[in-house]
Amino acid sequence: MKNGSAAAAGGRPWWLGLAILIMGVLWLNGARSIASTTNYVGVGPAAMVLAVGLGLVLLGFLLIVQALKGQLAPASEDEEEAPFSRPAFLMALAGVGVPLLTIRWLGFPFSAMLAFTLVTHAFGSRRTLLDLGIGALIASLAWLGFSRLGISLGPFFPLLG
Amino acid sequence: MDILNQLLGGFAVALQPMNLFWAFVGCGLGTAVGVLPGIGPALTIALLLPVTAQVNPASAFIMFAGILYGALYGGSTTSILLNTPGESGSVMTALEGNRMARRGRGAAALATAAIGSFVAGTVGTLALTFLAPAIAELAFVFGPEDYFALMMLSFTSVAVVMGRSMVRGFAALFFGLALGTIGIDTQTGQTRMVFGSLELLDGISFTVVLVSLFAIGETLYVASRHSAAPAAINPLSGGSWMTRQDWTRSWKPWLRGSVIGFPIGALPAGGTEIPTFLSYALERRLSKHPEEFGQGAIEGVAGPEAANNAAAAGILVPLLTLGLPSTATAAVLLAAFQNYGLQPGPLLFATNPDLLWGLIASLYIGNVILLILNLPLVGIWVRLLLIPRHYIYGGIVVFAMVGVWGLSTSWMDLALMCGLGLVGYVARVHDFPIAPALIGLILGPQAEIQLRRALAVSQGDWSVLVGTPIAATLLGVAALVLIVPPLLAYRRRRAEAEGQSAAAAG
Repeated sequence: MKNGSAAAAGGRPWWLGLAILIMGVLWLNGARSIASTTNYVGVGPAAMVLAVGLGLVLLGFLLIVQALKGQLAPASEDEEEAPFSRPAFLMALAGVGVPLLTIRWLGFPFSAMLAFTLVTHAFGSRRTLLDLGIGALIASLAWLGFSRLGISLGPFFPLLG
Repeated sequence: MDILNQLLGGFAVALQPMNLFWAFVGCGLGTAVGVLPGIGPALTIALLLPVTAQVNPASAFIMFAGILYGALYGGSTTSILLNTPGESGSVMTALEGNRMARRGRGAAALATAAIGSFVAGTVGTLALTFLAPAIAELAFVFGPEDYFALMMLSFTSVAVVMGRSMVRGFAALFFGLALGTIGIDTQTGQTRMVFGSLELLDGISFTVVLVSLFAIGETLYVASRHSAAPAAINPLSGGSWMTRQDWTRSWKPWLRGSVIGFPIGALPAGGTEIPTFLSYALERRLSKHPEEFGQGAIEGVAGPEAANNAAAAGILVPLLTLGLPSTATAAVLLAAFQNYGLQPGPLLFATNPDLLWGLIASLYIGNVILLILNLPLVGIWVRLLLIPRHYIYGGIVVFAMVGVWGLSTSWMDLALMCGLGLVGYVARVHDFPIAPALIGLILGPQAEIQLRRALAVSQGDWSVLVGTPIAATLLGVAALVLIVPPLLAYRRRRAEAEGQSAAAAG
């Protein structure tokens, strides 16, 4: 976001306020569909949802105003920090997201191994085989250890039944 | 006398071999996560929450207490040697401590931080021991409207104090409140905001939100702004331990830091940033060597580090006596209590004295363990910093998956982890505080219950909310917290504008 020309756009994150605003509208809409039981004294189940929705809409609106006035500059970055790297970000995101695709077929240990390797590569590691090995080791140990504590992490390798 | 007897009973619980073992595990883990970048006590306890299914409550809380205190000890080590404060509470320690380390006084800085942590931790725990039962006694008379008012105060102060601006704080708070409404309404059984998903009926798990916002958000952030160059660690070797002069310069800041830290930590807005900052400013003013500040003044390490630890003890006061969390870590501890079906508050002192007093006694023991673990063995912990960054963050993601997938092996939880991880990343980039979201998520449903209970008792009469002096006062303070800061800012702006126009005229 802070790469040269994109800096101007990143400096005015009006979309942040918009996202909060949309969330508020969602909640307001949700409050409408909750039937208020009339036999209940005081406030019903919809009131809290309504209040939260109103709050979010108001805050989203305020955030948009602040952003357009330029008061919402991104966090001042430490000078020691490297600039934003899109490939690294996407690689790390892939690492977090890959279990969504694999966990039902490959199970926890293998999915965690893939996630581990993708994240290490996002951080610049290039020793794929070593990372896969360490990832497999950590994930298997976690699976075994937590299983012994009575916490189920699913079957080890679902494809084998 | 009664308190002393109960405390002795607590020691009897905490000194059982099994509980001592858990205290050691907690202190070791806490120090390790304190030393490692990117993981804090809140996240560690959250990842260990599934363990509560297997371990008895007293042992679990003794371990959690060790993590809470241990992370503070470990955090000061990283701040001093690496100049990368892991938590907001150790920013001030890094300021002077790292300067000292660069001048070859790292060992002395570490020692004054560890001993100061011990002194302040013990003073804070003493204050907790005698204050908590008294406050719990007071809280017995609290009705639903008082609790509601208290939570309103907590909401406003957390949103105002944390983060750079009120709008950001409240946006985070309302985000958490919104997540808290998802699921089945506890009072009427109606479903709310589930978007047709069966898996959302039980609501969004606190662990998922916390792990995603913190661990995943932080990993994405660091990965995308990571420079390949390794951080320089200041060598421990060489340099002397604390000299006689260091001791005479340290003991007063330790005590002053404790006195500043505990009460501020015990406020509903709690936190460790303000007391450490205040302590630093105070030591700078009182020091006989003000010129050394910025160059590595030992008072600048001793005071804030003590304030940090005393505040951590203070945070436990509202948590244990009122069930009111004021930091992310306290919110996780509250979630842990709820996992056991326990609600912290005055009743818990009556119904579960063993658990509570065992926990308090373990704080004394934990401080001793941590002093032993950190003073002679600090060299071992520093080795942790030699683990390459990519393995640390890879490991964090794996353990985040354990925490989320281990809850109920639900695909929806993993999807939420991804989505909320992105939210956490955006919050990190744009400087939105995360703690208000967590506190909104965990306290929101409770505030709603108390509100509806109060209104049910009063037959729908809203004036009940200010019906008791306690409730009226707390709501008044909450309103002040909301109104005063913008008013001050407005007056300052006007004064500046007037000053400028006066300057222009003159």
